[in-house]
Amino acid sequence: MKWTRIFRTWEFALAVLLVLEIIVLGLINPVFFNAENLLYSTLDFSHILFAALPLTLVIITAGIDISGVSIMGLASITLGLSWVAGINVFVAAAIALLVGILAGLFNGFFVAKTDVNPLVITLGTLFMFAGLAQGMPALLDLLGFKAYGSAGLAAYQYEGITGLPDSFIALTEGTVGIVPYPFILVLIFAAVLSLLLHKTRFGRYLYLIGVNPKAAVYSGVPVQKTLVWAYVLSGFGAALAGVFLTSYFTSARADLGGDALLPIITAVVLGGADILGGSGTILGTLLAGMLLGFLRQGLLAIGVTNDLIQVVMGALLISAMAVKQLVNVYGEYRLNRRALSQKEGR
Amino acid sequence: MKKLLQSREALITGLLVVLIVITGLFNSNFFKFDSIIEIFNASLTLVLISLGEMFVIFTRGIDVSVGATAGLAAVVLGTTLNLGWPIGLAIAAAIVTGILAGMVNAFGITFLRVPPIIMTLGTLGIYRGLMRIITGGSWIENLPQSIKEPNLWDIAGIPFYVWLTFVVIAVTAYVTLKFKPARYFYAVGDNEEGAYLLGIPVRLTQFAAYTLAGFFAALAAVVFTSQIGFVSMNAADGFELKAIAANVLGGVSLTGGMGTPLGAAVGALFMTAVHSMLIFLGVPGIWDNAFAGVILLAVVYVDYRVRTALELQRRQARIRGDAASEGGRS
Repeated sequence: MKWTRIFRTWEFALAVLLVLEIIVLGLINPVFFNAENLLYSTLDFSHILFAALPLTLVIITAGIDISGVSIMGLASITLGLSWVAGINVFVAAAIALLVGILAGLFNGFFVAKTDVNPLVITLGTLFMFAGLAQGMPALLDLLGFKAYGSAGLAAYQYEGITGLPDSFIALTEGTVGIVPYPFILVLIFAAVLSLLLHKTRFGRYLYLIGVNPKAAVYSGVPVQKTLVWAYVLSGFGAALAGVFLTSYFTSARADLGGDALLPIITAVVLGGADILGGSGTILGTLLAGMLLGFLRQGLLAIGVTNDLIQVVMGALLISAMAVKQLVNVYGEYRLNRRALSQKEGR
Repeated sequence: MKKLLQSREALITGLLVVLIVITGLFNSNFFKFDSIIEIFNASLTLVLISLGEMFVIFTRGIDVSVGATAGLAAVVLGTTLNLGWPIGLAIAAAIVTGILAGMVNAFGITFLRVPPIIMTLGTLGIYRGLMRIITGGSWIENLPQSIKEPNLWDIAGIPFYVWLTFVVIAVTAYVTLKFKPARYFYAVGDNEEGAYLLGIPVRLTQFAAYTLAGFFAALAAVVFTSQIGFVSMNAADGFELKAIAANVLGGVSLTGGMGTPLGAAVGALFMTAVHSMLIFLGVPGIWDNAFAGVILLAVVYVDYRVRTALELQRRQARIRGDAASEGGRS
């Protein structure tokens, strides 16, 4: 492979766009040229990345997992309730991550063992996990635990479970040099997933399942096991996002991350993953997620309202896809022309 | 009997009846005429949105923007009414908004070839954003009495909107069964290339499906605005997912080409009835979502098991038949 090929990849285009974006935003508002500020602002969208990175693996298998946004709330409330019950907050965080893994396991088994559309399954679990998260405090109260802590039910509904220990809050406040802890974790997570996807047999299986599930079965790929793992990773990523948000907002809530579905899927799709399966990279999702996150920050900084940003994000998602489709059509057209002219030449 | 088992409409209606009887046994108030009417009344918005979504799912597409479209149409209705437009004109404006919103989706999907879930996820953000931009983020209140009035009308003790929705369901059911172009939705969803080779205008059919989804969402917007008398900023929020769930419950398969309007309507009724039943059973409303999710998963799982069992039976029958005929020949 010629090294110049790198310049023609989608990831390279995204990287160029990211640099351009920071330059443009910086020219409008010099705050964006300050590396410390820029890195600090990643805290506002780290949860999107935590969820979007492993979702890439699911989308590569031609599946989808929309239940992640509910798993975030479920993980958060699990953490909060475990802590109220007297468990050390870090152990509580581990329990929350475990809940995310179990939720992913449920999705994975349902997807792998039946032929039901993953969108329907994760739509069902989206409702189920959200309902579970909302109902869990009441359930614990019924069982005799005092789930709301000292502040009572009303405070729980409006503020969530607050008063988490400083040592836990510090997780999102701390930095290594100028890089916040969560962003380091994002990078580590991305690196691990990237190795998993591009350097292991498991990763190749994911692509094969996405391109042609029947061929995968006939060539002895453990399709069911591979699928389960993909959804488990997705559940784990969402739970990680939930734990992060809990620390960042300093309260555990059942509805955390409820509006993250659009940005998460936008990041994966803009990152180059094909919703029909078979293509996508972790690097692409990471870059696209950062591109969108900084864009949001930049628009907010120049005074664009949240509502208009939502419109811009939606339009961006659609136009990115439309351009990609047009490029595909044009590429095919060119190949056809070339084939025709060669035939005539002979 | 076998045919009845295979029909998702029968399965879900049966389940609904069982749940109603169980609820009635615990709380006899549930059997009262008023409670039943109340459930119908509460389900109308979802029924209408689900009917629109149904056409899209027939063609093997998906539209996650229908809730946002309904919200946008409601905002247009409320804003124009408060500007002093006559009610007929305001309703027409809302319906046109819905149709236009649907056509935007249709254009992106059929001409730009953007995958449906991406296109409608994008417009979900756009329409929700537009809603807030139009109103500046505040609720639309103090609507004129003229829009709230139809909600109080009733014919033979049954509210006007319930009748209206029944008529819409009946017309949709009749048209999809008897009207030839309406069968195109099924054909395109079942086998797009086959439909194309048969000379069916595939793109036009898909275009029509998303436009209809927008139209029905706007219709739903008119009904719920009239029912509640104001437009909140999260009006019809999350209805896109509920509408998909309702369709799946009612036997409209996401793999396309399958289902009936009656199924979609019963599915939507089911989704709403669950809420009322839980209230009558004394279960707090926070369990709604969990219950809806469990039911949805249970129904698709049972459906999967029934389908695979029938498939196995058919294969075994074929093997036996083949063996018998071969035995006859030798």
